[in-house]
Amino acid sequence: MDKKRRARPEYSRLFGKAAGILVYIFMALPIIVIIFSAFSPSNFPEFPPTGFSLKWFVVIFTKKAWLKAIRNSLILLVLVTPITTILGTLASYSLHRLRFKGSELLQSFMLSPLMIPQIVLGIALLYLFSNVGWTGTYGALIISQVLIAFPYVVRSVNACMASLDPVLESASMSLGANNITTFRRITLPLIRPGIIAGAVFAAVTSFGEVSISLFLSSPTTMPVSVRVFNYIEQTFDPAVTAVSVIFVILSIVVLFIVDRTIGLSKAM
Amino acid sequence: MKSKRAFNWVLLTPVLIFLLLFLILPIVLLLVISFQNQNTYLQLEPGYTLSRYVGILTQWKYLKDILVTVGVALLTTAIALVLAYPAAYLLTCAPSKSVRSLLYVLLVSPLLTSVVVRTFAWIVLLSQNGILNQILEKLGLIQHPLSMLWNMNAVILAYVQVMLPFAVMPIATCMGEISPSLQRVSMSLGAGRIRSFFKITLPLTIPGMASGGIIVFALTAGSYITPLLVGGGMQPLLPLMIYQQAMQVSDIRLASALSIVLLVIVFIFILPVEALLKRWEVKVYG
Repeated sequence: MDKKRRARPEYSRLFGKAAGILVYIFMALPIIVIIFSAFSPSNFPEFPPTGFSLKWFVVIFTKKAWLKAIRNSLILLVLVTPITTILGTLASYSLHRLRFKGSELLQSFMLSPLMIPQIVLGIALLYLFSNVGWTGTYGALIISQVLIAFPYVVRSVNACMASLDPVLESASMSLGANNITTFRRITLPLIRPGIIAGAVFAAVTSFGEVSISLFLSSPTTMPVSVRVFNYIEQTFDPAVTAVSVIFVILSIVVLFIVDRTIGLSKAM
Repeated sequence: MKSKRAFNWVLLTPVLIFLLLFLILPIVLLLVISFQNQNTYLQLEPGYTLSRYVGILTQWKYLKDILVTVGVALLTTAIALVLAYPAAYLLTCAPSKSVRSLLYVLLVSPLLTSVVVRTFAWIVLLSQNGILNQILEKLGLIQHPLSMLWNMNAVILAYVQVMLPFAVMPIATCMGEISPSLQRVSMSLGAGRIRSFFKITLPLTIPGMASGGIIVFALTAGSYITPLLVGGGMQPLLPLMIYQQAMQVSDIRLASALSIVLLVIVFIFILPVEALLKRWEVKVYG
């Protein structure tokens, strides 16, 4: 309605939109490039692509080392996601209900793994785990990935907790339900969107994390993200683009799930 | 109600134990070993020393790294915020739900693909036989491929692309909360579109810019993957120096001291902004 009424061309508005579109192109550009070169038959990325081939995908799915790295990543993802989701939900829920002096500070502290430079966390965890002989184990990788993904879960559950009316819980308890029943029957269903979004972020963080896993993984536990890093550092080979396409497809599937379950704009 | 409070503490305890063991403890250990004495073979000796910190804060090779790291992080943050603004604007004024969803996918998909993948894409684009050089050659603009990788410009370019979504999302959230009538009021009172932007929209999105800026700055200052891959590992950046000391020289104590310095630097920049942000929120929302 509003738009029709104004006949005068709105140059500033138009300029803002054009600039916005350029920025989105800039953000999407690398991904587009990756997808094109993964399906290219030549030995280095070409533009425009000279043909279509799946040979780099064949390389990935027939080389033992890549398969093993993918398996390692999946093992980590399956363990890291539930642990992080449970810890993050517990943290957000209990901290929202417990108001005390310094609870604000504790809240900031819980989100701090986002702010601490990843190289610092990497070195610190490397030293800790090498002292107890855990470097190179799945345990060390799981713990560090949980630590990195934890703030994302806290943040997305916080968003739901903020709009949760505590009266609902009091009502449930005054009707005779105990703490656990109330949490399960009242609270949990109401904060479910936040938990799902948090779990998605945790899974994605686990799958893509490289800065800390690089310090802590051994050749037998190396996840696919670290293997991609090692590979790029040594060679320039389109096989990596095929792995990257797997990453991209996974993320699109995830986005689709989030969009269908709770809506994208709500989750972020 | 007392049992409820106890119940909440029970829920919180495992979280606190986890963070104590794997966040606080490792950083405290890092601080401790950064003061430990060692001999020339990097073996532990009794006693503590300040010499590492004195060295870092007086020798040019470290100071330069510190200055460049801060400069690059500030520059990346500034560019990311400027670019994030029109992107956030486009997102909030998207005409339909499907366009908005598409923009969200474009926005979030970089976050969901590993930083190695995103950085690798820049190698594909910028390398000697990369796509940008091929296009320029076909257009006849250049005779020989340009060397666009392995320098700081490439690092900053990749940083901005990698960090942009973190800047766009909080700004878009802020913008979405501005009532459109505010701008209409401002314009009906005689202010032009540009003037209303600077008087209404910009001030109201400052919290979003601040929280986006904090994350971009912290992530940039602490990232070593991108400069290692795109910058060739030779750029004078603190995270790279830490990586090399820990992984190649195996001087974990110097790496710790440098890490502590980096941590302190990041907090020096972030904490004041965060404090201002909190005060702003209290002022606006009570």
